[in-house]
Amino acid sequence: MIELKDLTKKYGDFEAVNELNLSVKKGEVFGFIGPNGAGKTTTIKIMGGILEPTTGTVTIAGISMQEEPEKAKSKIGFIPDRPYLYEKLTGMEFLRFTADLYGVSEEAFQATAFKILKDFSLADWADELIESYSHGMKQRLIMSAALLHNPEVIIVDEPMVGLDPAGIIMVKNLFKTLAEQGVTIFMSTHTLKVAEDICDRIGVIHKGSLIAMGTTTELQREANVTEADLERVFLNLTSETPYPQN
Amino acid sequence: MNEVLTLLKPRIWPLKNRGLSKANGNSGASFLLLGAFGLLFWCGIFAVSWRVLIYFKGIEDIGDILGYKLLSMMLVISFALLLFSSILTSLSKLYLSRDLLLVHSMPVSSYKIFIARWIDSTIDSAWMVIIYTLPVFISYGIVYQTGVFYYVNTMISMMCLAVIASAISTLMVMAAVIFIPASRMKSVFILMGILFFVVIYLAIRLSQPELLVDPEVFDSVMVYITSLQTPSSPFLPSSWVYDSIRSALSGSISNSLFFTALSLSFAGMIVSAMIFLSDAIYFKGYSKTQNAPVRLFKKNVASNRIFNFLPGPVKSFTVKEIKTFLRDQTQWTQIFLIAALVVIYVYNFKVLPLEKSPIKTVYLQNLFSFLNMGLALFVLTAVTARFAYPAVSLEREAFWLVKTSPLSIRTFLWIKFFIYYLPLLILTEILIVATNLLLQVTPFMMILSTLTVFFIVPGIVAMGVGLGAAYPDFKAENPTQTITSFGGLVYMIACAGYIGLVVIIEAGPVYNLFMAGIRNKIITFPAWIWIVGSFTLVLVLSLLAVSMPMRFGERRLSELLT
Repeated sequence: MIELKDLTKKYGDFEAVNELNLSVKKGEVFGFIGPNGAGKTTTIKIMGGILEPTTGTVTIAGISMQEEPEKAKSKIGFIPDRPYLYEKLTGMEFLRFTADLYGVSEEAFQATAFKILKDFSLADWADELIESYSHGMKQRLIMSAALLHNPEVIIVDEPMVGLDPAGIIMVKNLFKTLAEQGVTIFMSTHTLKVAEDICDRIGVIHKGSLIAMGTTTELQREANVTEADLERVFLNLTSETPYPQN
Repeated sequence: MNEVLTLLKPRIWPLKNRGLSKANGNSGASFLLLGAFGLLFWCGIFAVSWRVLIYFKGIEDIGDILGYKLLSMMLVISFALLLFSSILTSLSKLYLSRDLLLVHSMPVSSYKIFIARWIDSTIDSAWMVIIYTLPVFISYGIVYQTGVFYYVNTMISMMCLAVIASAISTLMVMAAVIFIPASRMKSVFILMGILFFVVIYLAIRLSQPELLVDPEVFDSVMVYITSLQTPSSPFLPSSWVYDSIRSALSGSISNSLFFTALSLSFAGMIVSAMIFLSDAIYFKGYSKTQNAPVRLFKKNVASNRIFNFLPGPVKSFTVKEIKTFLRDQTQWTQIFLIAALVVIYVYNFKVLPLEKSPIKTVYLQNLFSFLNMGLALFVLTAVTARFAYPAVSLEREAFWLVKTSPLSIRTFLWIKFFIYYLPLLILTEILIVATNLLLQVTPFMMILSTLTVFFIVPGIVAMGVGLGAAYPDFKAENPTQTITSFGGLVYMIACAGYIGLVVIIEAGPVYNLFMAGIRNKIITFPAWIWIVGSFTLVLVLSLLAVSMPMRFGERRLSELLT
């Protein structure tokens, strides 16, 4: 469903992403972890069609992002880490704006918009200006907008930032349900517990390169740690010197 | 086309949501107030241009030439303004706006995003030029007694000019962004634009254009007329608009239509070319924009050690303030502009033809020096409005640092005050001393004006910082534009009132002292009481002008936080 081939992004001399290759199956929840500045957001932006790669290709649901960007983007629900929302629009207006751009029909919009807002506990705020929303509410609104057109792929950068514990549980359950329905989820996160709980596979990126990939058990093996949580695996894989075991 | 309209909706919908916003309590009042000032200014332009055209019309032989020359100059200036403003607006709208990340993640072709943004940018960059040239065109219409055709044709021609200017600027920006990232490009364009403006401004001023209205200096009337009739380039879009409007004014409709058609066809051609090009290169440029900006200068100007004598939190905010100011190119490029204004300001006093006046020169010199005090303070008000007034709003979303730091709001505001006070005091004193030297004023007047300014500058800076704190806008995309808000208006009115009051209070006593000095007369005891009383009043006013706005700002900002 998602395929990255030899993906490289250079900023001048700096190589933010280096020859990245990976593929994610339909209905899989893929976690993308790595230290700050490792290249996670750059990769996600290239996948979302916001950034042009220096070399390499991105394919979403069999459609090349470079060759048919609009078609590929229509398959994606994109949730950035620090989303910009039009503060002077109401929540409902923002959903309509998104629906219009994704070509959601009026009937489908009427049928789903309010339900989605209700699912994300935003129904009472539908006609309030976004400027009056809290950070968590804005995060929930951008998620609602991303789901409005029934995407086949969800690309999400740091989904839990700003959410309260109830919100985190809700998003975790939502992602699990969507994956069961065949939606592919590509998620970058620093919240390793979340990755451990819901991801089928996890990729570790460090200095622009994918240094490890697999299930939690496979990563433990790769990091030469036994019976350890993902946090220790992560530290062992990304630190210059091996992290001591307790 | 539907997608382009949808992309424009976030711009249109907020207009109907105005009533929903809880953040702008006084937005209605400030909108009315600003609207009234705008209308007043519009009427002022109309009255002046109408009066000037009536005067020109009355001059035999060369009246029409003067009128057309004025029209030609106005169109060239309008075109230049449209070009420059479009460069900055299109750069922001197409490459730097915060919502671009969201919009580009959506399944819409990049050229459609481009078209929507370009329409938005063209409206933003052109509306003010169009609205404020309208009274001039109306006065031309009235004075030259034209029909409906003239007005319709002028509106179409001006719209074409705006579209052409916006398309040319956008093409330049699109091409340039491929080579230089947009984040850096804005600074480059601002710097280039300001340098260009400074050079043109200096060149025009130093060529003494006032001589143009003094036909005596020309050898003959013919030389004078020839110099006015110098044609402008036939390849300039402003020339086509000029030719079209001029033909409409003189009643030649077919000629006018030809030039309007020329503008329209060029506008159509350049917009099509631009859209075609945008499909190929716009997204590449936008993608490049997301590279992290590189620092131009890496040397630290404000070393931490210089401010070691200050207490910790005060030192840290002082150093931060100076560093962020110096690293923000939009701030320091404007210093060039201020330097040019100072040069022109001083130069104007150098070329004052005082010797031609029938009034005694020594009297005039000192009268000008006294009035110059007020003028220099108005210049200071404008500079303070640009730099000190937005100082608090410039903290933007990082204001939480101030809120959580062990620094009181009062200390925070006083740091801001002192950072701007010293350079602004030096600037104003330079203006005053330099112009006084050129005017060769008496020592009394020199001491009086430097001292008065010394006591008034703190008041104006305090009003800037204090009122800027009382009406902050931490969410403004460009905090330096907060001066156009309600608080900015309050600041301008307060400063004008304060300067006017000081000048009025000092005028009588200064006249008495000055005349007594010239005529060697003794000042009577009641006159002394009046003089001392007046200067004491100015001193008290100056103290109030410092303490009141600073306290007001402190109180409002504290209330905002609770």
